[in-house]
Amino acid sequence: MTGGRGRNDPSGYLLVAFFTVPFLLFTVAPLLFGVYIAFTEWGIIGAPRWVGLANFREALADPWVANAFRNVVRYALIIVPGVTVLAFLFALYVHQRWPLSTLARTLFFTPNVVSATVIGLVWVWILDTQFGVLNHYLGLLGIPRIPWLTSPDWSLTGVALASIWWDLGLAFVLFLAALQDVPEDLYDAAAIDGASRLRQLWHVTLPQLRPVISMVVTLQLIATMRIFSQVYVMTNGAPVGSSASPVHYIYQVSIVQYRLGYAAAISVLLFLLIVLVTILQRLLLRERVRG
Amino acid sequence: MTTTRWRWSRRQTLGAAAGFAAANAVPWYLSGRAVHAQSPTEIVHWSWLAASDGEVWARMIDAFNAAHQGKGLQIKMELVPEEQFMTKVQAAVVTGKAPDFGWGTAGMRAKQAKDGVIVPLDEVAVQVGLDLADFDEFALQQSRYPQYGNGLFMVPMDLMSLQPLVNTDHLQEAGLDPDAFPEDGAAVLDWAQKTTKRDGDTVTRSGILMTGSGVHPTVTWGIVAAQMGFQRASPDLKTAAVNPEAGLAAMQFVLDLFDKHKVATRDVTDRYKAFGTGQGTIFWTGPWTLNGYMQQNLPFRAYLFPKFGEKRVTYFEQGGLELYQQQDKGRYEATMQAVKWLSDNSFLWTTEGRGASPRKSILSRPDYKTAGPPWDKRGAFVDGMAFATEGEIPVQAGPDFTIYSGGNFLAKTLEGVWAGMTKPEEAMARIQEQWQKGLDAG
Repeated sequence: MTGGRGRNDPSGYLLVAFFTVPFLLFTVAPLLFGVYIAFTEWGIIGAPRWVGLANFREALADPWVANAFRNVVRYALIIVPGVTVLAFLFALYVHQRWPLSTLARTLFFTPNVVSATVIGLVWVWILDTQFGVLNHYLGLLGIPRIPWLTSPDWSLTGVALASIWWDLGLAFVLFLAALQDVPEDLYDAAAIDGASRLRQLWHVTLPQLRPVISMVVTLQLIATMRIFSQVYVMTNGAPVGSSASPVHYIYQVSIVQYRLGYAAAISVLLFLLIVLVTILQRLLLRERVRG
Repeated sequence: MTTTRWRWSRRQTLGAAAGFAAANAVPWYLSGRAVHAQSPTEIVHWSWLAASDGEVWARMIDAFNAAHQGKGLQIKMELVPEEQFMTKVQAAVVTGKAPDFGWGTAGMRAKQAKDGVIVPLDEVAVQVGLDLADFDEFALQQSRYPQYGNGLFMVPMDLMSLQPLVNTDHLQEAGLDPDAFPEDGAAVLDWAQKTTKRDGDTVTRSGILMTGSGVHPTVTWGIVAAQMGFQRASPDLKTAAVNPEAGLAAMQFVLDLFDKHKVATRDVTDRYKAFGTGQGTIFWTGPWTLNGYMQQNLPFRAYLFPKFGEKRVTYFEQGGLELYQQQDKGRYEATMQAVKWLSDNSFLWTTEGRGASPRKSILSRPDYKTAGPPWDKRGAFVDGMAFATEGEIPVQAGPDFTIYSGGNFLAKTLEGVWAGMTKPEEAMARIQEQWQKGLDAG
């Protein structure tokens, strides 16, 4: 806040402090402390003992860490395209005001306001191998029962399905808002040029949505990298760690085994992976600036 | 576009800040401290009991508070998830705000005994007049950690075992007599065959209810392995995985339930829910499930765990109350008074709650067998304590050794075997190596 004479008004700092102080205390300080304890051995009781890079060396050699990071890539390959494509299609459906679009708008967004625990518990029932609704309907189509949550081959897919359903709402709203912002005259011009509806979608709608697509993909990638609640509730990482995620493993190591230093080291590795993926994704999807 | 700029003078800002601070601080001083000064001693108790047994425990606490109304001592109970329990206790101890007492499992707290998180109770038990001679000797022995001063670190509250619950409707449907449930393993497998339902090769209702991963196959392996002569640790706690051949045979036993006898399926997701909805006939579980199944009117009875190996053994678990380190050492006596009362009055807990009583005076009461759930549902969990000996290994790495876990080192290692991804010999080699490290660390 600048006064008429170019002098800072101290009351501005006070107002900013209402956000800044809690942010520094409860976000930045724990984050820095987390990075520090990644270089220590610490089990809550007693002082942290400096071990240098030992935790990172152990993490890089730990097959369960490698497994969890492999899984999160697989989760991302299913959930991110799943959420992005479905949310876009649902937004298009509502935007076009096709039949029942008002009801659909509510239905598409509703899962997003339900807690992950509830979603997880509901989907455990839906995906039950023996008595689940999904297998029942697949059976009517002649498809044999799929062990969605009990087989190492399927458990990750089962959890990913629930995640797509849960995550869809936010992306749907973002796409819908973006669709409503596309100028009508662009469609008019395209129509005058003889473009079909499909060509209008490809050459007008999608380019206009590029920034939103980029944002949805980024947000979804970060959310998927941090996947935990669904895994914890639906499979607890089983069987054989086939559905475990890095955050789930971090939880196991820190909260259950009290190895906070080692857990912090894995967290730092996850943080670096998220930064790397975000940068790569931004580079790939960034808008080209024309001269 | 013009905007109206809202200006706030420095005096207004500082005044508002002072008002905000005062509004928050004054009630805290006036109400919080003043009330606290007049209130009785409040003993903070953390519990992780969240199943149907939790309701009975809440009644125990209510009964204590009612009995001590106006006597200057009250218990405030808080629920903490079991998996996070000890992490939160340790964090609370470090910050000097630990709960006074909480629930523990005997044999699983060696590290906390070493670190001083839980405190030895021998002296304070004598101070408050807790009659240790009235306790089962085995229960007291399980509450000590020989390598850490051999102090008494827990007041035993209940003795638990794993015994089979059996769906009696399924038995009658298969023409089997519920009064003649066999105790021999081979005969139990035969009964399981008769009650299993299949669709082609797929089991649609399990004769022996199992899950494909997690706690159930692990604990089944642990019990059967012990019956076959496997020891997780030698009695002197020096050698890990004694008689590994028996451990391997037990792995094969579990695999055979799925693949050879086909009386179980890996498709079951939630074992408790599955038994409650009739997806299985024979289900070995603990006494903490009885109230829940009775409330849903499930037709079942409990029997003694069958003998699949050379000797009859089942899983043993002892629940009890432990005291946590306090800055104000004067709180120990008041807390122990509360624990003594809860132990002396644990008839309700060990009849309607869970498990068998570790108190001789309670076990010998004439109404012990008639209180709580009917004896055909509860009796096996009292009588079965005679051979429930497969308990915890009292070392710091105890959680790695427990057979009742779905996510510890043992369960994770065995999951590969159940899924056909790890050879039993390979798993046993890993178990031996890790457990030996655990024993060597003390």
